[in-house]
Amino acid sequence: MRQFGGRWAPYLYVAPIVVLAAGLLYYTVGYAVWASLTDWNGLTRMDFVGLDNYTRLFEDRTFYIALGNTLKFMVAAVGLQTVLGLLVAVIAKERLPGSNLFKAIFFLPIAMAPAIIATVFKYMFEANYGSLNETLRAMGLLGQDSTILWLGADLGVWSIVVINVFAWMGFSMMVYFSGLMSIPDELYEAAELDGAGWWRRLRSITIPSLRGTTSVLITLGIVGSLKTFDTVWLTTQGGPGVSTHFLSTFLYQERLNRDAGYSSAIGIFILVAAFVLAVVQARLSSREK
Amino acid sequence: MRHHKLATWSVMYLVLGVLAAMWMYPIVVAVVKSFAVGGTGNYTAVLNHDRFDYWSAIGNSFMLAGGSAAVIMIIASLAGFAFARMQFRGRGLLYKALLAGMAIPVAAVVTPLFSTMNDLGLRDSSLGVLLPLVAFNMLVMLLLMKNHFESIPQELVEAATIDGARPIGVFTKIFLPLSGPALANVGVLSFVYCWNEYLLPNLLLTSPEKFPVTQAISLLQYERMSQEQIGQLYAGLILMTIPSVIVYLFSQRYLQSGLTAGAVKS
Repeated sequence: MRQFGGRWAPYLYVAPIVVLAAGLLYYTVGYAVWASLTDWNGLTRMDFVGLDNYTRLFEDRTFYIALGNTLKFMVAAVGLQTVLGLLVAVIAKERLPGSNLFKAIFFLPIAMAPAIIATVFKYMFEANYGSLNETLRAMGLLGQDSTILWLGADLGVWSIVVINVFAWMGFSMMVYFSGLMSIPDELYEAAELDGAGWWRRLRSITIPSLRGTTSVLITLGIVGSLKTFDTVWLTTQGGPGVSTHFLSTFLYQERLNRDAGYSSAIGIFILVAAFVLAVVQARLSSREK
Repeated sequence: MRHHKLATWSVMYLVLGVLAAMWMYPIVVAVVKSFAVGGTGNYTAVLNHDRFDYWSAIGNSFMLAGGSAAVIMIIASLAGFAFARMQFRGRGLLYKALLAGMAIPVAAVVTPLFSTMNDLGLRDSSLGVLLPLVAFNMLVMLLLMKNHFESIPQELVEAATIDGARPIGVFTKIFLPLSGPALANVGVLSFVYCWNEYLLPNLLLTSPEKFPVTQAISLLQYERMSQEQIGQLYAGLILMTIPSVIVYLFSQRYLQSGLTAGAVKS
């Protein structure tokens, strides 16, 4: 029998995607690999310097600060989003009167661009006239002339975590909620007959049944952490100094400093990390099946 | 037993209430501050601003997000159809190579991307932002469309082929009509991702009249901000959120199922 679509037609169907992927994704990755081996200034100068950019990277204090911040963010944001998302989803499933309203409140940030959310928080977190410190002063929790530097060197990363959790917890909640719907009611009924309380049912039925959902959310969160840019760039821009840089903003800063070769080396580091994570994710999900 | 349930419910309401208050706080702050100092004048000031043009920012965002979503729906469903239902040399390898591209973060390749768009003469043009928006979002959508097309029964294809239908006819007359919800998921999801994108326009656009909303926020910010300017900024942020909230209300069902499907399948 003749093949469906013939011999050449299939290539026409896939051509637009293949051309765009080759021209804009793979070509730029190749370009970045080459650029990372040069002293490129982003314009014309582009002389081969071997692995200089990489040795410089691994000796750069800022790189370790940015890597550390990215990892702190990864653990804290992913952890909080997952735990709170599960908690809210489990409560929402109890069908309390008004639980749809609560779901809508937590899901609302999904309808807002992260850039807008970040800007709202930036001015809210401002130390002198920002609303958060003003509210704390009005409640008597903060002295009239005191300030908390929410976006300072010490707290900055954690404030960025808060912004991210605000933006994405509703997403985890929703994914968990649809996961909860697929757990058969009989399991809960049987457990209730055996006298298992709410907490016991959560630990012995709900959490184990949602293991797949949890691992998906964790991997998505980890990959998302590597890509996080807007939230940092639009709030602290990596400052004060370099204290709140993430890998992506560190890269962007070096690019703006006309250090494009070095910036590309950071890009290759991010890329390798992203691919390693993608492979680990694929391994884990194929083992589960 | 009833008392026990009442206690559980109280604890649950307490947890939900505390969390909801934390989630409402920034929104209340934004709304209250948007009226601070200037009152409703903040809103009229933002709509008649000398640097920031609200309608052009909204128009640019709709054009970029809508255009990208339309292109992604077309090319992802064409390729998804071929990968799901056609046999051709190199299919498996090509598909794997494309899926590997999903892991490429925009941030990792910003400078080469900037140079490439510059060489193509597309720097500071809407098309020059639309193309990378499509490229960086299309592969997840390809995955979703291929998975969907694989779920359509093979008998339908065979029956149509015996009746003499050509592949393009099978695609347009059988597969597309059965794919409404899947296409809606892909369209809504692409629209939202592209609407939210900040890094790509910030990298590639320099003319303020071409800025989408995410980038136009910068036009309302100054080195030192007066209370009045902060009020106007908040008013602008609220005005810029309205269109995406409307889109969200109309597409809630597809956005939720799309986000879930994207999460579970990728």
